[in-house]
Formats: sequence, C-alpha cells, structure tokens
Amino acid sequence: MQLKSRPSRRRVRESITALSASLLAATVSGHAQAQDSSSINNDFGPGVNYTEFDSALLVYQESGSRVLAIEPAGTLTLHGSSGAQLGMEVVFDAVSGATPNGAVPSNLTQTFMTPVKIVTPGTSGGSTTVTGSSGGSTVITLPGTPGTVSYGTRSYTVAPNVLPVDKGFNDHREGFNFSWSQPLGSISAVGFGAGYSTEKDYRAITGNARISQNFNTDNTTVSLALNAEFDSSSPYGGVPTPFTPMSGDWKKPAGKDKTQLGFVLGLTEVMSRHWLMQLNYSFDTQSGYQNDPYRILSVVGAISGEPTAYLYENRPNHRQSQSIYWDNKFDFGPSVTDLSFRYFTDDWGISSKTAELSERFDLSRSMYIEPSARWYQQSSANFFHNYLVQGQALPTFATSDSRLEAFTSLTYGVKLGFNLTQRTELYFRGGYYQQQGNGHPAGAIGQLANQNLFSGTNAAFGFIGYTWDFH
Amino acid sequence: MTQTPPQPATVLQRSGDDWHFMFHAMATPCELRLETNDRATALAASRAVESEARRIELKFSRYRDDSIVGQINASNGRDVTVDAETAHLLDFAANCFDVSGGLFDITSGVLRRVWKFDGSDRLASAEQIKSVTPFVGWNKVTWRSPVIALPPGMEIDLGGLAKEYAVDKALAVVQAITKDPALVNFGGDLRVSGPRKNGLRWKVAIESVEAAGQLAGLLELADGAIATSGDSRRFLLKDGVRYGHILNPRTGRPVAHAPRSVTVAAATCVEAGMIATLAVLQGRNAEKFLKREAVRAWCIR
Repeated sequence: MQLKSRPSRRRVRESITALSASLLAATVSGHAQAQDSSSINNDFGPGVNYTEFDSALLVYQESGSRVLAIEPAGTLTLHGSSGAQLGMEVVFDAVSGATPNGAVPSNLTQTFMTPVKIVTPGTSGGSTTVTGSSGGSTVITLPGTPGTVSYGTRSYTVAPNVLPVDKGFNDHREGFNFSWSQPLGSISAVGFGAGYSTEKDYRAITGNARISQNFNTDNTTVSLALNAEFDSSSPYGGVPTPFTPMSGDWKKPAGKDKTQLGFVLGLTEVMSRHWLMQLNYSFDTQSGYQNDPYRILSVVGAISGEPTAYLYENRPNHRQSQSIYWDNKFDFGPSVTDLSFRYFTDDWGISSKTAELSERFDLSRSMYIEPSARWYQQSSANFFHNYLVQGQALPTFATSDSRLEAFTSLTYGVKLGFNLTQRTELYFRGGYYQQQGNGHPAGAIGQLANQNLFSGTNAAFGFIGYTWDFH
Repeated sequence: MTQTPPQPATVLQRSGDDWHFMFHAMATPCELRLETNDRATALAASRAVESEARRIELKFSRYRDDSIVGQINASNGRDVTVDAETAHLLDFAANCFDVSGGLFDITSGVLRRVWKFDGSDRLASAEQIKSVTPFVGWNKVTWRSPVIALPPGMEIDLGGLAKEYAVDKALAVVQAITKDPALVNFGGDLRVSGPRKNGLRWKVAIESVEAAGQLAGLLELADGAIATSGDSRRFLLKDGVRYGHILNPRTGRPVAHAPRSVTVAAATCVEAGMIATLAVLQGRNAEKFLKREAVRAWCIR
C-alpha cells in the first residue's frame, strides 16, 4: 500500500474540527452551528477560562462592649483553561472597642497609665504684599510656625469589681495577598504567593511556595508548602522592657521583629464516590519578639490580693509548634457533611483540640442552608499566670493573656446561600462564639477569691458575601 | 423483497423535568431527553428523532442490498453515482484518511472476514490476514464526487461514522421543532443542544469497562457532544491479552496496546467520534495524542 507521508505536526484535531463542521453544515440545512451570541455560556469549571470575584463583609462584636471589628475583603481569581490560576486578595479591617489590659479586677478603683504622644500641627506660612513708598510692591513670605510634639501620660480608671479594659483601642489594617499556581511539566501544580499587611503598629510580610502531585487518576494528591513571615511590631509608646512597671514613659526601642518559618505536608484522598478526606501536618518555628507590648500583669499583695504594682509581660523568644488536621467531606443522601479534627501542640505548653461539624442542605435548586458547630479546647501556656504575687521571685516568663490560658469554646453558626443565577451567589452567615475558662482558680488570694479572673469573651459575628463568575 | 423486522417497543415517559423517549436502532439503545412539560412537542420531537435514526440506518447499512452502501459494495468495479448526503460523508471519510495518515480507512471492513470479535481466543493467522490486505486501502478507490468506483473485492463500511452522524442529524431535526434543551444519545454517543434551563449542566453516567451496568463516573455537560470508542463489548481474549475490535488497516491486526475506552468531548458528535477513533488507533500513544491535540478526553486502560 502506498501511504501518504505522516500528517504534519499541525494539529490533527483542528483539521477534524473543520472537516466535521463542513460535513454537518453541508448536510444539515438551516441549522445554526455557531453559538447564538445572545445565549449565555454558563460553563465554569476545569478546562474553561473564567474569572471569579468574591467579596465579603464580616462584622464581629464581642460582648460587654469590647472589640468591634468590621472587615470587608475582596478576592479576584483568574482561572486559566490549562490549570493556571492567579489570585489576588485585598482586605481592610477596622477594629475598635475595649480590650483587657491583663490586670485582674479589684474591689477598689484602679488607675492605669500609658504613654501618649501629643502632636500639635504647625501653621503654614502665608504671603503678604507690602507696598513701598515709591509705589512699587513686593511680595513677602512670612515663615510658618513649626508644629510641636510632646509626650505625656494618659491615665484611665477602672471601677471596682470590673475586669480592667483599655477603652482607647482602635486600629485599622490593610492587607494584600497574591498567589500563582500552575501545572509544570509532569508536576500537577507548583505555586508561590506573597502578602503584605500593615496596621498602625504592626507590619507583616509573608511568602510561600508550594508543590503538589496527583496520583491514582487524580484520586490522591500529595502536597508540600513552605511558608515564611517577617513581622515588625512598632507599638504605640515604644517597646516596654519586660517586668518593668507600667508607666507613661515613651519607651525604647521603637520596634522589634519576629520571623516565622514553617511547612505543611498535605494528603488529599478520594476515599469513595461519597467521601473525600484531607490530612495535613504543619510545623512552625517562630523567633523574635512575641510579647504583647500593651499587656501587663497585676502584682498583688500576698494576703489581701489587692494590686500593688503592674508589670509588663514577658514571653519566650522562640516558639515551635506542630499540628495535625484531618478533614472529611461526606455526601450521603440529601446533605453534605463536613467533619474535621485538629490537634495542636507547642513548646509553650499549649496543646489544643478542635472538632468541627457542618451540614449543608439544599432547600431548593437555588438555596441552601448550612448549620455548623465547633468545639475547641486548649490547655494553658506553662508561663500563664492570672497574676503575680508580691514577695515571690519573678518567673522568667509570664503573661495573663486569656488567649494563652486554658479555655473551652463553642461556636454555633448558620449559613444561608442563594444561587441568584448560575454564575452568582449571595450568602449570609451568622453565629455566636462562647468562651469558658476558669474564673475562680483554686488558691486565689484574698479579694481575688471573689472575682471572676477569666478575661475571655463571647462574641456574635455576621458575614455577608457575594461571588460572581464571569468569562 | 426485504422486510423490515418488527421493531422493539418504544417508550415515551416523564422523567424528572424531562420527557424521555427510548427506542432501538442501529443495534443500540437510543434515547431523546427533552426538558419540557409539553407532551405534544415531546411526541413530535421523538417521532422526528426516531425517523431520522432509522432513515440513516437504512440508507447507510452495509447489510441491506437497497442501501447506498450495499449498492456500492455490490458494484464490482463499476461507477456508482451517489446523492449529496452520501457524497459529503465520503468526502469526510477521504479527508480523515489523509489527516490520519491512513489510520482511518472505511475500506478496512473486509478485515472482518478474518477477525471475529466474539470473546473467544481465535486470532487470525498471518496467511488469513495476507488474504484480505490487498482489498484494504482507500487510496485504491476512485472517488471523484459524486462518482465512486471500488475495485472488485473491496467494500466500504460507514459504521465508524454513521452513529455519530445520526446523533448530529437527529439533534438538528429536534432543534427545528423546538428550542427546549435536548439531549440525543445513541448508545453512548451523544450531543446536547446546550445547557438545561437555568444554565444547569446535563449529567451523563459513564459505564464501567470492567462490568457492564456499573458506573465508572459521571460527566457534566453544558454544550457539545461526547463519543466513546472502546472494546468493552467486542473483543478477543487470548493468554490474558485483550484484543480490542479496532483494527489497524495498515497492519491488518487489532491496534496493539489500545486503551480499553476513550471518551472524547467536542462540539459535534462526528468530531468527537473521529477523535476518539483516532486516539484508539494510536494504541500505546493514545493519551499523548489526546494531550498534544489538547482534546478534552478520558482514557481507560
């Protein structure tokens, strides 16, 4: 048989496409082959180029007029048909309200002092016209007066039997993240990302790189991500020297840094048609300044339990932690279940367990409801102290921050989602967060036995979000 | 006088939001799904699909003396003039022969005389193959539209095209009757008119190659067609090696290391079917071929 030479490297498929189209155009009369331009292409998914825009607004309010946070965020994700993906996120955060300063309540009025900087703006110079005796005129510029900066002490009082909080707490944060991921050769995906976040007294720069590989016809994915973060804290009032008394002095140095390095090893497995599982192991090490520069501990009388002094806290310079996270998604019948567990442990003595369950029900073709519950329990850091006792030797490290204390929390939430069209979704989520800690530890001295020493909080939160896909 | 054998019963029934019509043609189960509440429209569309499927089956069947293919195969070297529709199909087959470097060849049907894919272990011998290869090769055919002349002993078989072509034509007749979302499926080669109402995708189950009746997966289709080329039903099994029924016209033997099943998605069923067939003909290199051609496809080995 004489055969023609092999077809050129020009794509065979393009030829077949053209040949098929002309066969059908010739034999199918009056049938529009091309897509009607007015019809909507609602195809979003693998192999399609599309863009996804997510926007959300979070409102978070702690009980007792404590912290109020409002956080709008927007994310733009560009999906390429070959599997490449570019994501960009912008977050803005405004936080205000009152936050515990670390002191314990007392049956007497307490007064606290913090530094304050008073800036008086200067006046700008003006210009005036002076007419000379000969009739000419000249413009003369008068110098302005410079502004002044003076340092002083802001003091605030706290009523008896009330948890001391600093009401002058407000801050805003802007953050930007971007990420890129794409298949590379025979590797399923490689990616990297970077982020920058800044607030009045804190700045964080993050970077990460990841690689992942699919096996078993995409039923298994193994991934490794490396991440690093560099934080600069420049607290209002300067960085206090640990265990020095709380005062209105403007402190030195002006700022301190912290570096974090870590990795996450991940395994995702399709266990069956109805069960998807993910297992992650994370390891992190942080070194540098980990203190909360605004937090103090009360030094109380050994018999009375009354505060005698307030000292700035101190935490170790290093922290190493590990965690294992296991997430399962089940799809049996009319609802989709998400059940996850996490175990965390670090060298500060904290270990914690988290269990979370959510259940999604489709109420109709375009509406779903998803109630959820989360249980969390942590042990306290080995340098946590509710208070220090006068006359006893100071420990090397101490903090009264309730976030490092032993506590249990429960979060209840419900999410309601509406698929307004095939390409847009509006959702609402609300919930309530409750913390429980030991406010009455055994051995509480003097008047402290009658006080609630737990400074954790309850909070209500609400989200509203909108997602929009387009080509 | 040829008689049309009695047809198996057809069924038209409600299925969820659709009218679902099932019938039997071209030796496979066929169905039409129309997303409408209007029974009259569904009935008209069902009749149109069934009659178009049977028309194409009768016209291009190689088993019937009165079909154009039957006439061509009985022509014994004489010129046969064909109508416009047949001419377009022969043009398509000729171009696919060129584009595939001779792997797609509608004259390769005579190899069937020595290969019977009945699940047994009787492979054809070298002598048997040599006895038929002189009668294989589209380049030996004289085709100058609308006249075709086959050398004596040669045959053409449009079976590798007819089912997919029927799907595309049947969908066109449905779309001439109604704009409701429609899915036409002839034995696994299917095409949709577009997305369902509200922009939702059609859900299509893929049968497992291991066990008939079991599901290997679920596809979601918003537009276009799907065709599957594979061997789950017709094969030979010898010494644990499975010989699929797609024959390489150049060697006269089943394609070595062919995937068990290739499913391709494309804009039309004819295109999807041709790419799937070409992929299987690549044998061991099926996946590489599909990847290089940037085709949306799934291979099962």
